[in-house]
Amino acid sequence: MFKNHLKIAWRSLKKQPFFTFLNILGLSIGMAGGLLVSLYIYEELSFDTMFADADRIHRINVDVKFGGTESEMAEASAPMAETMVTDFPQVELATRFNTVGSTLIRKEGTQKNTRETHTTFVDQSFFKMFGLDVLEGNMASALTEPNTLVLTETAAKKHFGNNSALGKTVILNNTGTFTVTGIIPDLPKNSFLRDYSIFMSMAGLEDAQEADWTSNNYYTFIKLIPKANILDLQQPLQDMVGKYVIPFAQRYFPGITLEQFEAAGNRLHYYTIALTDIHLNSDLSDEMSANSSLQNIYILGLVGLFLVLLASVNFMNLSTAHSLKRGKEVGIRKTLGSTRSKLLQQFLTESGLITFISLVFALVLTLVALPLFNILAGRAIEIPFSKPLFWIVLLGTTVVLGIASGSYPAFFMSRFIPSKVLKGMGNMKTGGGNIRNVLVIFQFTISVFLIVSTIVVYHQLEFIQNKDLGYSKGQVLIIENAFAAGDDAHVIKEEIRQLGQVANVTLTGFLPTPSIRSNTSFFIDGSTEQEDAINMQVWTVDMDYLPTMGLQLVAGRDFNKAFTADSTGVIVNEAAVKILGKTPKEALGMRLSNDLGQENPSFSKIIGVIKDFHYETLRKDIGAVSLSIGDSRGSMAVKLNTAEYATSLASIEQIWNKLAPGQPFSYRFMDDAFNTTYQAEQKLGQIFMVFTSLSIIIACLGLFGLAAFNAEKRTKEIGVRKVLGASVSQITYKLTIDFLKLVAIAILISLPIGWYAMNQWLQDFSYRISIGWEVFAMAALLAVTIAIITVSYQSIKAAIVNPVRSLRTE
Amino acid sequence: MLLQLKNIFKWVNSGGQRIFLLKDINLDVEEGEFISIMGPSGSGKSTLLNVIGMLDGFNEGEYQFLDESVHHLKEKYRSNLYKEYIGFVFQSYHLLDDLTVRENLEMPLLYKKFKAAERKAMVADMLDRFQIVGKKDLFPAQLSGGQQQLVGVARALISNPKLILADEPTGNLNSQQSEEIMQLFKKLNEQDGVTIIQVTHSEKNAAYGSRIINLLDGRKV
Ligand SMILES: Nc1ncnc2c1ncn2[C@@H]1O[C@H](COP(=O)(O)OP(=O)(O)OP(=O)(O)O)[C@@H](O)[C@H]1O
Ligand SMILES: [Mg+2]
Repeated sequence: MFKNHLKIAWRSLKKQPFFTFLNILGLSIGMAGGLLVSLYIYEELSFDTMFADADRIHRINVDVKFGGTESEMAEASAPMAETMVTDFPQVELATRFNTVGSTLIRKEGTQKNTRETHTTFVDQSFFKMFGLDVLEGNMASALTEPNTLVLTETAAKKHFGNNSALGKTVILNNTGTFTVTGIIPDLPKNSFLRDYSIFMSMAGLEDAQEADWTSNNYYTFIKLIPKANILDLQQPLQDMVGKYVIPFAQRYFPGITLEQFEAAGNRLHYYTIALTDIHLNSDLSDEMSANSSLQNIYILGLVGLFLVLLASVNFMNLSTAHSLKRGKEVGIRKTLGSTRSKLLQQFLTESGLITFISLVFALVLTLVALPLFNILAGRAIEIPFSKPLFWIVLLGTTVVLGIASGSYPAFFMSRFIPSKVLKGMGNMKTGGGNIRNVLVIFQFTISVFLIVSTIVVYHQLEFIQNKDLGYSKGQVLIIENAFAAGDDAHVIKEEIRQLGQVANVTLTGFLPTPSIRSNTSFFIDGSTEQEDAINMQVWTVDMDYLPTMGLQLVAGRDFNKAFTADSTGVIVNEAAVKILGKTPKEALGMRLSNDLGQENPSFSKIIGVIKDFHYETLRKDIGAVSLSIGDSRGSMAVKLNTAEYATSLASIEQIWNKLAPGQPFSYRFMDDAFNTTYQAEQKLGQIFMVFTSLSIIIACLGLFGLAAFNAEKRTKEIGVRKVLGASVSQITYKLTIDFLKLVAIAILISLPIGWYAMNQWLQDFSYRISIGWEVFAMAALLAVTIAIITVSYQSIKAAIVNPVRSLRTE
Repeated sequence: MLLQLKNIFKWVNSGGQRIFLLKDINLDVEEGEFISIMGPSGSGKSTLLNVIGMLDGFNEGEYQFLDESVHHLKEKYRSNLYKEYIGFVFQSYHLLDDLTVRENLEMPLLYKKFKAAERKAMVADMLDRFQIVGKKDLFPAQLSGGQQQLVGVARALISNPKLILADEPTGNLNSQQSEEIMQLFKKLNEQDGVTIIQVTHSEKNAAYGSRIINLLDGRKV
């Protein structure tokens, strides 16, 4: 019986190629979209779960409020790790990371450096903590000695080719000599270590051995013994503040107690986050790798669901519309004795067949789209063909989808009463029409909602891009790793300044783009009262910083070579002045100190106040910053006075190569650096864009099909109207307006929803756009235009047919 | 002279061959004539009627309608011409199922930009004249075949055409119903001076007309 159903189903699909094509195209696009989103979400949820005992690993976070500023960090103090292992029986193991960011590396005996973007110091317990093994070398001894390091397989290949890297010596940043003592496999793409390629022994880092409880510079991971409960650890963890941190702080604040510390409105709070929660639930400013957010997962999940729903709705719509044509078939079958359940089976077989054919196409589409999607999403997702679970879920979903979308048309059609349908189509003209209209409204509601969302995301991104940041990021070239030139960095700076296209140059590691920076506490004019403390970032800059960055003074003056005392002067931003409770004018001349507890405390005088500038992402408020003169060579920023980058770049590179031979010349434009900060949003924007387009395509396919059936159904009417004098444009209008009414209703429904949802999304940004009516006007216009284009093709086609022909078909 | 066909040829190409639908048709129609076109099935009667009604084109020859050369006219002008002067009656009535009798009658007026009040008056007048006032709010499916055709004729007449083209107007009706329609045509022709060209298979119906044209294989005989 089933075989017979299948045979008939196949024939019936072949008989209506247009209908079958639309249906399969819509379904396979929707299914492919749904599949992509599912794979992506699965990947995101799987982050860091591959490590052995991942469920027992946690990271220590620190939440600190001191001297007017608050910060939440993923890093703890150096002695924390070992103290936890000794003090707490539940803690089996602890591992610290101290990341150093990008590093220049070369083999001993060569001159040419290459750059590795993610480098870190790590404790020897690293291997045991994450259940890693070495491919080459000895795990037990690797990373025990100072000046040893471990490379990932890819990094080893990159620097040593086919020769074994083990035992070889490399030079890092032209200064440190390290021996390679192990090669480990590449770290999984869906782990927080995915980008790290060089792991240096923590044994060589002096700072790491000191018991400094107040600087938080170490990512600290602990592993619990089996069955231990992490909640039981929270109180003992917090108690460490009174037990270790306060006694240590007494060297700066003699006699201070925990009570005094807290009474002054300060706070130091230690807590843990599970390793597997980090990727989706943690968004601190100093994460080891860029994380994603649960919110994005929800958003994408919703979008994926929408796509599948849209496709399914399409299917129902096209099938019921099409049923008008099949009414006669049902009538004849019924008069010949077919029962309703047989007809149901027949129709369900047909929809099942369509769904499965679509599944095949969806898989092909996904395979083709996946590499592009991976680039877009920054992942290495694969279709898990070899996993039985994948197939079970996939086939299960397909069956459900087939039944869900097939059952309504099947019930609808099998209900036809033969005497009526055989008399002609007249009585069935509205067959399923109302439900079809509702479904079209539903589809367009989703599409318009997605359009609104896309527009808002893009507007916000554009807003960020064009926002007055308080400094000028245009035409600024940044030479990275300027320190590689050693003392010659200053010579290079002066030579570049001589170039005609160069307006100014500054040498500093502190650029107004987001990066990990620490706060320092200052006391004001000799007071050791904690209320008078201010927590500020200290940026070491040179005399040319303000003009190069385009920072604006609101009071006082810029650094000046003529004043020798400027080496101890500082320029602060308005945010700092506000914390001090002064006006910019009043703040001038105030003296700040960060080493009051020590023997010869030093003071710096405020000589200028600059306008606040956005050095962090626009998600965050602006904190206190002070600039002081020093020798920081992290990078060199060159302000060009021309947009002709190419020639300037060539001249600058020439100078670099002359004075820093063998050192890689690596540069970026500040614009781009700024843009990478918003990559997450940009990706979200692009992903939105892709899925919005897909949903619109699906909705349009449906509308196209419906318009075709509608035009066909009304052939006779159109003919009569034309004979009675209707013009082509009148007919086209009449056929189109019916659909536009539906689209209009959809727009009315989706706009408030879109407004609400996108306002929620915008709450994440401290600086954001307000959603104006233009957004809705644009979305509405777009939806209407797309609908008109889709429908009018069919309408015009129907309207220009010679009525003689359409009236003959009777 | 209302219209004049001179050496009209119409053909279609099928499989590299020319199939002639109309061959060398010459026809003069004076205002006020009542003409019946007869001939076996497939002889080209409907085709000829459609050419006269400007619903269909032709390949060769000349067609003058009220001294306008139809073959030279632009599509838009041509459609204005027939909108204004020609009314159609069909064998299968071709009323719109979704519209009531009143709305069906009103439809041609909508396309001729009459004002609402005018339309109302004209529709009321027609309902009255055809004595179907009581049926004005019914749908076509609720009428008998004869009543439907009555509405069809009323609809063709509502904008006062000079010429009515009827393709087997009584083909679906019984003899009594068809008699009524023929009487109506005759009255329109004689009292209102409406020119009528009808296609018919029935000698009896043809006799109502003043002239009979016989077609065979697309040629006048
Ligand atoms: N577009 C066309 N392509 C091919 N052949 C056509 C076309 N239109 C009409 N014909 C043919 O032209 C001939 C005349 O058709 P027409 O409809 O005018 O006949 P008729 O005299 O009205 O017949 P009936 O009495 O059955 O209505 C028929 O043989 C028909 O098959
Ligand atoms: Mg005919």
